[in-house]
Amino acid sequence: MSQDNPPQNNDISMVDVCDADRQQQQNNETDSAGLSHTLSQMNIDGPDEFEDNENPDRMTVPRNKSTLIFEDDDDDEIPPYSRHQENVSDTNLSEDDDDDESVDSSHHVVSSSATPHVGQDQYKSKSDFSENSQRPQQQYSSNTGTSNTNSNPASKSNMVPVDITWQQGGDKVYVTGSFTGWRKMIGLVPVPDQPGLLHVKLQLPPGTHRFRFIVDNELRFSDFLPTATDQMGNFVNYLEVVAPPTTVDENIGGNLPNQTADSSNYQQDMGAGKPIYKQDNQAQTKQPMSARSRIAFEIEKEPDDLGDGFTRFHEEKPLKQDVEYTQDIPAVFTDPTVMEQYYLTLDQQQNNHQNMAWLTPPQLPPHLENVILNSYSGSGSDNENTSGALPIPNHVVLNHLATSSIKHNTLCVASIVRYKSKYVTQILYAPLQ
Amino acid sequence: MNYQNEEEIKALIENQNVGLAAIRRMLGSKTSYDMLPVSFKLVVFDTTLSVKRALNLLLQHNIVSAPLWDAKTSKFAGLLTTGDFINIIKYYFSNPDRLEIVDTMTLGGLEELERTIGAPSMDTISIHPSKPLFDACLKMLESRSGRIPLIDQDEGTNREIVVSVLTQYRILKFIALNCRETHLLQIPISELGIISTDNIHSCQMTTPVIDVIDCLTQEKLSSIPIVDENGVLINVYEAVDVLGLIKGGIYNDLSLSVGETLLRRSENFEGVCTCTPNDKLSNIMNTVRRASVHRFFVVDDNYKLLGVLSLSDILKYLLLGGSTNSPL
Repeated sequence: MSQDNPPQNNDISMVDVCDADRQQQQNNETDSAGLSHTLSQMNIDGPDEFEDNENPDRMTVPRNKSTLIFEDDDDDEIPPYSRHQENVSDTNLSEDDDDDESVDSSHHVVSSSATPHVGQDQYKSKSDFSENSQRPQQQYSSNTGTSNTNSNPASKSNMVPVDITWQQGGDKVYVTGSFTGWRKMIGLVPVPDQPGLLHVKLQLPPGTHRFRFIVDNELRFSDFLPTATDQMGNFVNYLEVVAPPTTVDENIGGNLPNQTADSSNYQQDMGAGKPIYKQDNQAQTKQPMSARSRIAFEIEKEPDDLGDGFTRFHEEKPLKQDVEYTQDIPAVFTDPTVMEQYYLTLDQQQNNHQNMAWLTPPQLPPHLENVILNSYSGSGSDNENTSGALPIPNHVVLNHLATSSIKHNTLCVASIVRYKSKYVTQILYAPLQ
Repeated sequence: MNYQNEEEIKALIENQNVGLAAIRRMLGSKTSYDMLPVSFKLVVFDTTLSVKRALNLLLQHNIVSAPLWDAKTSKFAGLLTTGDFINIIKYYFSNPDRLEIVDTMTLGGLEELERTIGAPSMDTISIHPSKPLFDACLKMLESRSGRIPLIDQDEGTNREIVVSVLTQYRILKFIALNCRETHLLQIPISELGIISTDNIHSCQMTTPVIDVIDCLTQEKLSSIPIVDENGVLINVYEAVDVLGLIKGGIYNDLSLSVGETLLRRSENFEGVCTCTPNDKLSNIMNTVRRASVHRFFVVDDNYKLLGVLSLSDILKYLLLGGSTNSPL
C-alpha cells in the first residue's frame, strides 16, 4: 500500500489502453515500438530519446498525424479481422489458444474460493495477489509503450470483485465465459437465506466480459442480466466491469491498521493522495482511527525537542509540496508570442538538435489510432457476421468523429457512440457539395 | 404421411406446440435491443448521395440495404433496398432516353421516380428498439423488404436515431442458434401449409434478364428460380443479383440472358438451398443456423421444383401458425 502514490493510481485509466493495445501486440512488435515512439515525440524535453527510438517506417505514415482516420474499404486493402480484441471475443469453446486466456482461467480457481465478505476485500485482494500477479504481468509486459509504469501493486487494484448470480432454477449451475476462455466452468454456490439464488464472486479485470450459464448440463443465459449476440450470433450475457475510482482505494488504505504502524510512511501515504500537504492534519482527524494509529498520531503531535539534545527525526518532504492546482491557463498556451518565444528558447537550449521540431503537430494519441473499423472486414469470408458486430471499442474513441479520405466526391464520416449499454458505430456517407 | 398410430401423431403435434410456445416466449421476453451485439456498425446514406455511389458503397460493404438519412429534417428517410434499384432499371428500360437522369439521380430523388412508374415507395416503417422482438417480427412481416429499422430518439436533442436494422434472416438465425426448442418442430413442412406451390414463377437460363427483373417487380418477389426444360431446379436469380448487374453503370446489359449475367456473380455466392416436402422445420432451422439462406426451394427427389418456402413464410408460421388448427 505504501507504494500507492498518484502516478500509479492514474494507471487505472491505462487499463483500457492495454486492452486495446493487445491487438496491436498481436500484429507485430514494431507497433509497440511505435507507441513508445509516439509518446516520446510528444515529449519535448526528451529529443535524444526520440532519436534513439526512431523507426523510419513509422515516420512515413502521414495519415496518422493529426486526424482520426479510418480506412474506407474502397480499393484499399483491409487488415484482417482480428478476433481477440476485447478481453476475449471468441465464444467458441474449442478454438481459443490465446496465452493470456489460459492464465486467466487458472486465476479464477483462486478467486472463486475467496470469502465474499465486503469488509475483507482489501485483505483478500492482497492474499490473492501473489497468485494473480501472473496475469497482470503478462498483460503489461507486452505493452512496453504505454504501461511500463504499471508495477504489480497497482495492477492488483485493477481486479474488480464481481458477483454473478443465477436465479432461474437448476441444481448444478456453472458460469463460463470470455474470462475463462470459454473453457473452464466455475461453479455457483447457493446464497444462504435466499433459496433459489446461486452466486459466485469473481475477480475480473476491467472491460467487457461475456458469459453464459450451464444449468444442469444445458447452456443458458440469464434473463436478469444484460444480453447481446456475439459475432457468431450466439445470445450471451455480458457485463462491463469498470475500474473502481482511485479515491476509494486510498481511504480504505488509510484506515488499515497495519499501514499506520509506521507513522512516517502513513503520513506520506496520506500526503500523496492530497494536492496540498498542509491539509494532512485535518484530513487525518476526519478519518476514524484505530487505537494504534491514534497513538502514532499522538506521538506526532508532541514537541520536536525530545530533551537531552535529541530532536525528532523528520523525513524530508518532497520539494514540490507547495504545488497548487489552478484553473488559469499559462500564457504559453494562450499567447502566440509567448508561445513562440518559449519554443525558440527550447530550440536554443537543445543546441538545434531538433530544429523547429515544435512546428510539427503532436501525433494522435496512440489509442485513437486503434479505430475498430480498420480491424474489421465486412466483406467476403465471414458470412457468420450478419449483424455487423464489431470489436468492443476503447472508450477513449467514443464520440469522436472519424473520417476517411474523400473519394469520388463522397465524404465518409463515422462515429462511435454509446446506445444504452451498447456501442453503435455509425458510418455516414454524404456527397460533397 | 404414414404414421404408426394416432398416439405418435398426437405426440408430434404436442411437441410442435411446445416448441412454438417456447420460441414465442423467447421472442416476447426479449427486446430488439437485447439482441443487438455489444458493439456493431451501421452504414447510413445521406439522401443527397447519388444512387450510383450508393450502389457501389453497398457492394463495398457487402450489404444489400441501408437506412437513409435526411440531413435537412434530421429524420430517417426510409430504407434503401434492392427493390429500389430494380425500380430504377424498370424506369430506365421504359425511358431509355433518360439515362442521364438515372445516372445522376440522388437517393432523395428515388421517391419521385418510383411514383412515376407507379411502384410502391420506400419502406418507412420502423420500431423502437425496446419493443419486444415479437412485435418487431410482426411489423417486419408487413415490410416488403423483410427488414425493419430500429429507431429511437436521442435524449439530448430529441432527434431520431437509427440504431440498427433487423432482418428476417437475423431473427431466424437468432432463433435457430438460441432456442433449443426448435428441435421439437418435427412435423413435415408439407403439412403445415406454409409452402407456396401455386403460381410459382420460374425462368430458364436463356430468358432475358430484363424479363426476370420485370417478374421480380410485378410479383414482388425476392428471387426467381431458374429451371431447365424438365422443370428441374438449376439456379436462382435473386434481387440482390441486380446490384452486380448494374454495378458498372452499364445499363446496356439488360439485353443479356439470365445465364450470362449470372457469370458475374461473386464467388462468395452461397448456393441455392433446397428442401423436400418431408423436411421438418427443425432441419430447416439447422440449415438457417449454418448458412445464410434467404429462401428454400422445395424440390422432389429429382430436384424438380415443387414450391418455395420463404423466410417470411417460416417466420409467420413461428409467430402465428400451428397450435389449435394443426392440419394434421
